[in-house]
Amino acid sequence: MARAAAVRSPVWALAVIITLVCVVAGLVSGRPDTVALAAPLAFLALAGRAGPQPGSACEVRITADRRTETRGPRLRLLLAPRDDGGTPDPGRLVVTTLAAPGYPPDAVVLLAGEECPLLVDAPPSGERDVLAYGAASFGADLARPSAFVAAPPVRVGILPPIGATLARPVSRRLVGLAGTHRSGRPGDGGELRSVAPLQPGDQLRRIDWRATARRSADQDRLMVRRTFADAEASVLLVVDQAHDLPSSTADWFAAAPPRLAAGSLHVARTAATTVAASYLSVGDRVGVDDLSGTRRALRSAAGARHLEQIRVRLAGTAVVPRRRRRRDPVPPQGAVVVVFSAFLDSEPARLLRLWHAQGHVVAGVDCMLPLDRTETTAAQAEAVRLTLLRRRLLLEDLQGDGIPVIAGATADAQPAARLAPQPDRAGGLGAPFGPDLETGFRLLAHRAGRRTGQGSARRTP
Amino acid sequence: MTLQRGARTPGSPAVPDRRGLVPLWVVRSATALLAVLLGSIAWSGSLWIVLPVVVAVGAAVLPSIGVVALSLLLLVVAYAVNVPAGSPWLLVVVAGLHAVFILYLLLLHLPLRGWVSVAALRRLAVSFLRIQAVAQPVAVLALLLGDAGSSLPAVLAGVAALIAWAGWLIRRPGP
Repeated sequence: MARAAAVRSPVWALAVIITLVCVVAGLVSGRPDTVALAAPLAFLALAGRAGPQPGSACEVRITADRRTETRGPRLRLLLAPRDDGGTPDPGRLVVTTLAAPGYPPDAVVLLAGEECPLLVDAPPSGERDVLAYGAASFGADLARPSAFVAAPPVRVGILPPIGATLARPVSRRLVGLAGTHRSGRPGDGGELRSVAPLQPGDQLRRIDWRATARRSADQDRLMVRRTFADAEASVLLVVDQAHDLPSSTADWFAAAPPRLAAGSLHVARTAATTVAASYLSVGDRVGVDDLSGTRRALRSAAGARHLEQIRVRLAGTAVVPRRRRRRDPVPPQGAVVVVFSAFLDSEPARLLRLWHAQGHVVAGVDCMLPLDRTETTAAQAEAVRLTLLRRRLLLEDLQGDGIPVIAGATADAQPAARLAPQPDRAGGLGAPFGPDLETGFRLLAHRAGRRTGQGSARRTP
Repeated sequence: MTLQRGARTPGSPAVPDRRGLVPLWVVRSATALLAVLLGSIAWSGSLWIVLPVVVAVGAAVLPSIGVVALSLLLLVVAYAVNVPAGSPWLLVVVAGLHAVFILYLLLLHLPLRGWVSVAALRRLAVSFLRIQAVAQPVAVLALLLGDAGSSLPAVLAGVAALIAWAGWLIRRPGP
């Protein structure tokens, strides 16, 4: 059995040392008052002789505080004693060490059994550890300390916000059977295709009596109105989660855990959610896939519940290194494919070109935030400059190939960029590429409408 | 847990959201001030007081048990050397040294920033007073011994009173 004295707290050791010094000094000098100085420390040494208190579980737990409404933009958590069935020793003090990402640790010293609400920063979207913590305890006379035990960090998931409804460009090869977009095939729908004599197979309710009276003077034939079939559009959202670039370029090189600020992945989540909500609001089908190939694609579906599934899926996206895929994602026939990426490498551009060549309506959404050039060394500055230059060339090549690129960073998705004192927009290297999301989708819808010869989505509210 | 919330401004650490908490910098400042006041008793009239002042401030801020031990030794040794025997300041120094010891070692393992609840401080104060309830009579007895010199009846009476007091304290039920 290990000797308890070997792991006693420094309180005990220091109390013994000071007591011995006082006693020896008092005896040598013949002064009882010097010996008396050591009296309280001797009592502390006696109290500490029991050694440390055993224990392997963290004495506190931090959970979401659901008793009160969250006030303001921060999350409210509750630090409470661990609920393990036993009652905490009311005489002990519990030291909880809290470490928010990117900040030095703080401590909260509470009496055992006390609760303490905490306000913490949360990520703008996505799943992140918002608080690491652990606890140790000791008696009120600082005796019988327990060892520090770390607890699993507090992890929260924030659903990406939904932006304003966007225009909805659609392919001319719609294959759905019900929806709000005009397809190119005959069928039930709202848009007139032709007025022609009744033929076998025509529904009687399609007879146009006015046209019959006008065109068939001797009443020998009936005229029917034929329409284009309505169809829903199919949309595939592809998120590139290989990078999450913060707006401050110094953070690109930081080894410490990043603070909970908006990055390019947050822009991707927000823009993808906005695009999905825009299409789903009119009954279109939306699917989600990622370029890393680590999770199965979210199947294409419609409806409000599917929007929540998409938001949860997007909230769960985190930085995952891209791995070699056996095959590229295959969009549904006649789909609109939108790739959300920071375009730091050629893979998103390659896929966009591939799907564009297959006849899909494609668009790239540039998820880079307006940059705050804060790199500290010449090597870092050169690395950032070369990265941005390569990115710019990739994006310009895409535009040269007729693939539109849209800036995904909307005003509410870039709070950090708004606060940046001098965002680097000189030369455009540090700025998002292309028009903003709303303008970009309106232009894309206009262009797709010209190709199909029907304007944009016919029933766009 | 999955939550929904609006836009926010990033960039602040976790903070408690309740009353009844004292920031650690207040406790550190009070500790350093207490150590400096004790040092002014032990180093009265000497320019060397700058040394324990600097060490006391360092011990209240730095997470180093060596600096804490140095600060306490500077107080004890200076008292033994500079303060004359039988000084009534003994009662103050006994309480002050104990308080400084407790506060130093409370702060030793804590990060620079933090908070202590008033209830925890009250519990520390109760524990402090319980030990002082025995330590102060010991100090009084030491003063008596210093004054009475070799008077055996006085010494025996003082020791008997102290033992009786300590025994009563031990037998009474705790809080």
